[in-house]
Amino acid sequence: MLLLLTPGLVFIGAALIWPLLIMLRVSFLQRFPGPVVYTIAKYAALLDDNYFIDITLRTFGLGLVVTVATAVIGYPVAWYLARSPSRWRHLVFLGVVYPLLVSVVVRTVGWTILLGTQGVINKLLISLGIIHDPLVLMESFWSVAVGLVHVLLPFMILSIAAVLGRIDKSYSEAAYTLGATPMRNFVTVTLPLSIEGLAAGSVIVFCLTIGTYITPVWLGRGHVTVLAISIFDEMVTLVDWPTGAALGMLLTVATLLLLAAYGVFLSRYTKR
Amino acid sequence: MRANILTIYVIGVLLFLAAPVLIVIPSAFGQEATLAFPPIGFTLKWFSNILAHPELISAFGNSVAIALMATAVSLVVGTMTVLALRRYEFPGREALRMLFLAPLVCPAIVLATAVAMVLSPLGLIRTFTGLVVAHTLVTLPYIVRTVGASLAGLDVALEEAALTLGANPWQRFRTITLPLLGSGLLVGATFSLIISFDEFTLSLFIVGNGMMTLPLEMFNYVEFSIDPTIAAVSTILVLITTAAILLIEKLGGLGRQFGQSASGGAR
Repeated sequence: MLLLLTPGLVFIGAALIWPLLIMLRVSFLQRFPGPVVYTIAKYAALLDDNYFIDITLRTFGLGLVVTVATAVIGYPVAWYLARSPSRWRHLVFLGVVYPLLVSVVVRTVGWTILLGTQGVINKLLISLGIIHDPLVLMESFWSVAVGLVHVLLPFMILSIAAVLGRIDKSYSEAAYTLGATPMRNFVTVTLPLSIEGLAAGSVIVFCLTIGTYITPVWLGRGHVTVLAISIFDEMVTLVDWPTGAALGMLLTVATLLLLAAYGVFLSRYTKR
Repeated sequence: MRANILTIYVIGVLLFLAAPVLIVIPSAFGQEATLAFPPIGFTLKWFSNILAHPELISAFGNSVAIALMATAVSLVVGTMTVLALRRYEFPGREALRMLFLAPLVCPAIVLATAVAMVLSPLGLIRTFTGLVVAHTLVTLPYIVRTVGASLAGLDVALEEAALTLGANPWQRFRTITLPLLGSGLLVGATFSLIISFDEFTLSLFIVGNGMMTLPLEMFNYVEFSIDPTIAAVSTILVLITTAAILLIEKLGGLGRQFGQSASGGAR
């Protein structure tokens, strides 16, 4: 058994655990590379700097907006995937999964064509006479949010659909028999039973949003700085590795806390 | 009536998902030198213009080579890991499985930074090896998941029969387990190739002059000029992805990767 496990363990140890430990160490160094002086100055500086607090709030705000949007937009589609008797169901499934496998660069090129000042949406609005001058649709928090909703919606849909598909239909049938309206049936029966899928989808979407780099870079065009962009700037532009590492550790801790909260929620919820 | 509203809504969401992907295709054939939709006129010159950019061609070559290598490593290491995790009961087995899937939920930028900090002193920045290591970190979980799923559906009795009939473990693996895993391995490999080929963030700190990957090179290209050449490259990528998905579909694998374990996380 050890023979079979060794290559995997060596790889994960060398390429995941060791690098994260190195990063943790670097985040406590005063300078890197340089003489080894341990300090918590980098963390203290970050927590004291309004610029970084703004970036952190923006990153988590983005995570919240994208999570709520994907949940609201995705739920009916998940419902369709899990419950519809339609023979088009598999096609819809393919339509949901397909964008996941198309390069993020291709998709951002697509958004440029759609949202640019010369883009499809501006041309459409001008030709309809709704606006006279093109709107600046890119370079904003909301264009980044739209791009991220597009990238992450499939994860939310699939997470909810997986749970919806497992729910015993006799529960809602019983509710109908007892005279519940469709709305009441949904709120009191289906929604609580599917909350596990919503929670799983939300954790995935939130974690992936706060760690994302390319979408904010491309659709924000330097106007929407999030933690990932800031880490890149510290590492590459300012060559301040300790600060970059400290930011990275904060992001990792936030992600771990979320996963832990999800684990606690799940064990409480399934026990009930 | 309610079913119709739901159908229209689902079509609307699918259009939203498809729009930015499909819109690049017509834009690649327009005559004007700006990315525009609807395109004006029809030309193939942007496709031939790709050939005038050797950096795009060599980046494409690098990306293919890295994807093949990362997939090969992930297939071997991932299959061994999955076999061990399935066949033997030991404390902490579930935790170990989670560890192998961890790169899927860890923020990509953090993985990229951490890996770069280790590769840098080893002189592996801007090298093929460095990129393969980074990409394997994200392709391995996909293999562990897909091959794990198809191994779970495999009848243990067949393997036991082989042992009873006197096969040694290697013979058993080669003549029973491997052939039965066949489609699972192929689906996992296709996913792994796509994931590595498209990977952006993990390559970010490792690429540089002389060792670029296609997504990064495309990104650089658009920084300086937005002309339909990039839409032409995108069109080719969309076609390759479509072909790959049709292959996976034919092997019945999209459901295996996403249907059952959607909550397992992916990027």
